[in-house]
Amino acid sequence: MRYHFVVCMKQVPMVSELPWDSRSGRLRRDLADGMMNPACKHALEAAIQLKDRHGARITVLTMGPVMAEEILREALAMGADSGILLTDPKMAGADTMVTSFTLARAITRECPDFDLVLCGCHTSDSETAQVGPQLAEELNVAGVAYVEKLDLQHHTVRLEREADDFLETIEMDLPGVVTIATQRYTPRYASLGGLQEAFDRDSITVIDAQGLGLTPEQIGRNASPTRILDVYSPAAQKENIVMRGSAKKVVEDLLDQFGDQIAAAIGKDLKPNG
Amino acid sequence: MDFNPCMKHKVVRQAVRDFAETEIAPVVYDLDREARFPWDIIEKMRPLNFFGLQVPKAYGGAEVDGISYAITIEELSRVSAAIGLCISVHNSVGAYPISAFGTAAQREKFLPALGRGERIGAFCLTEANAGSDAGGVETQAVREEDGFIINGTKIFVTNGGVCGLSLVFAVTPQEQGARGGSVFMVEKETPGFSVGEIEDLCGMRANPVSSLFFENCRVPLENLLGRVGDGMKIGLAALDTGRIGIAAQALGIAQGAFDASVKYAKERHQFKKPIAAFQTIQNYLADMATEIDAGRLLLYRACAFKDEGRPFGTEAAKAKLFCSRLASRVTNLAVQIHGGYGYSKEYDVERYFRDAKVTEIYEGTSEVQRVVIARGVLSQPR
Repeated sequence: MRYHFVVCMKQVPMVSELPWDSRSGRLRRDLADGMMNPACKHALEAAIQLKDRHGARITVLTMGPVMAEEILREALAMGADSGILLTDPKMAGADTMVTSFTLARAITRECPDFDLVLCGCHTSDSETAQVGPQLAEELNVAGVAYVEKLDLQHHTVRLEREADDFLETIEMDLPGVVTIATQRYTPRYASLGGLQEAFDRDSITVIDAQGLGLTPEQIGRNASPTRILDVYSPAAQKENIVMRGSAKKVVEDLLDQFGDQIAAAIGKDLKPNG
Repeated sequence: MDFNPCMKHKVVRQAVRDFAETEIAPVVYDLDREARFPWDIIEKMRPLNFFGLQVPKAYGGAEVDGISYAITIEELSRVSAAIGLCISVHNSVGAYPISAFGTAAQREKFLPALGRGERIGAFCLTEANAGSDAGGVETQAVREEDGFIINGTKIFVTNGGVCGLSLVFAVTPQEQGARGGSVFMVEKETPGFSVGEIEDLCGMRANPVSSLFFENCRVPLENLLGRVGDGMKIGLAALDTGRIGIAAQALGIAQGAFDASVKYAKERHQFKKPIAAFQTIQNYLADMATEIDAGRLLLYRACAFKDEGRPFGTEAAKAKLFCSRLASRVTNLAVQIHGGYGYSKEYDVERYFRDAKVTEIYEGTSEVQRVVIARGVLSQPR
């Protein structure tokens, strides 16, 4: 069989700290260039590796402003087959619940034959980690979050993930949703030839709210129950920590203890052994 | 007229920057100190088409548009000018002349390996007595029944120490109508070909610039590029493209020095405030930003002309002249902003400062660019 994977992705600001609009409580995303959310890139890499092994069609899906097409093109260059851009001013301001609802609607309508939906485990700009699990609910299929390794066997997928210091191995029937952790699937670089072709190809479908059969009341800020009451910068807490031992050990300890925080601060995942 | 980068060019810039910062930046200091050519990085660059930028798709290349090409060289050079140089020279004067002037058989024979980076290309014009004056070339190719025998020494060959294919500019004394010289493709396995010592240069130290020796190097007839006497025509066309690459390289060096300076000016405190708060530093940064912007516009215009199939030699010369000079000025100010630290190898601006200078010299000196530009200006009907 030839699988159909849908990889959901988000364009996030390239810098780790952005000013926000104090009145609306929203980040001023317009002030920075966008990039593919690092964890989404890992999810795409996982999908491409599965495609290489088992044969598959990969559709990448994003909701965002018109410029979010950039990350879909990049995904095509990496190995995706087609892209769907959900863009409509009325979709703006969606919270995670409405985002999941809208993505699920697009998947149901445009990719009804999907076998597996892959998402990044979280985004670097809001870090909620909610959209993947919510998407499983909306699609009414099984879902597993923070997957570190996966492989397919006919109509099931075998997953490994670390939870509370245990290594879990889970088998899940397809179709399903997984969110991919950022440990194992180090994303490949898009080739320069691939990028040129990705922009020459006619493989992106642009859909607005009407195209999804959704009314303004069902989407965007209007439909989002989440209210942001306040946004503030956590007070910086400085602490001197002295790490001892050989240079090699100190660096390893540093990465062990603070690798995730460093990765979050620089907006880039640190490669294992990198 | 649209001054915004299109989506493709934004994504290309981001992709190359990501590669350069992740794979090259961590070792760039060592490469410079040790004057080491990074084969391990080259290995990673091969499948990403860095060596096939100007190789047609039909021969496995990426065949990118002119602005994508400039952005790629710029972003590589922003991190490592020596690697940017390798890719620029390989593509513009190594592979491009074969695409433009080669026969179908020559393209078939040489371009796939160049495009995959299995062979790194070099262009050999400069000799002890010939540089800006290509008419002084003494390397000779003597016609035999089934080929040519090449004798001579080329110096300051970029990529010389690692080239798998060199395009050699030589004179063919006994041929009719051969005043323009001729270009021969010489594979590194050719008996009589050898590499001299790697030059100990001020900058670009990770690029193995060297002399190349040709002692009774016998090449078959099919290794002659174009016809006998086409050398000057091929050389000039290659240099027009090469100048876009070197302008992009100079711009990337300037951008790297500028980015480092902005960061440093915000971090470095004197008199209880960041030095960026002082008007003198602000003036420096403003001048640097303005020059870089102006250079980029000149460069991308030359690329756009090339993509449209219009003559772009004068535009490329203007871009190369302006960008190489601004690179020297910007890197000089970058060292000044960094103060004593800028003069230390501990900071990248010291390397940028050394790397920038040669962009005013190679691929045609600034003086030669002015000759080209003046010729373009004076030939315009008024």
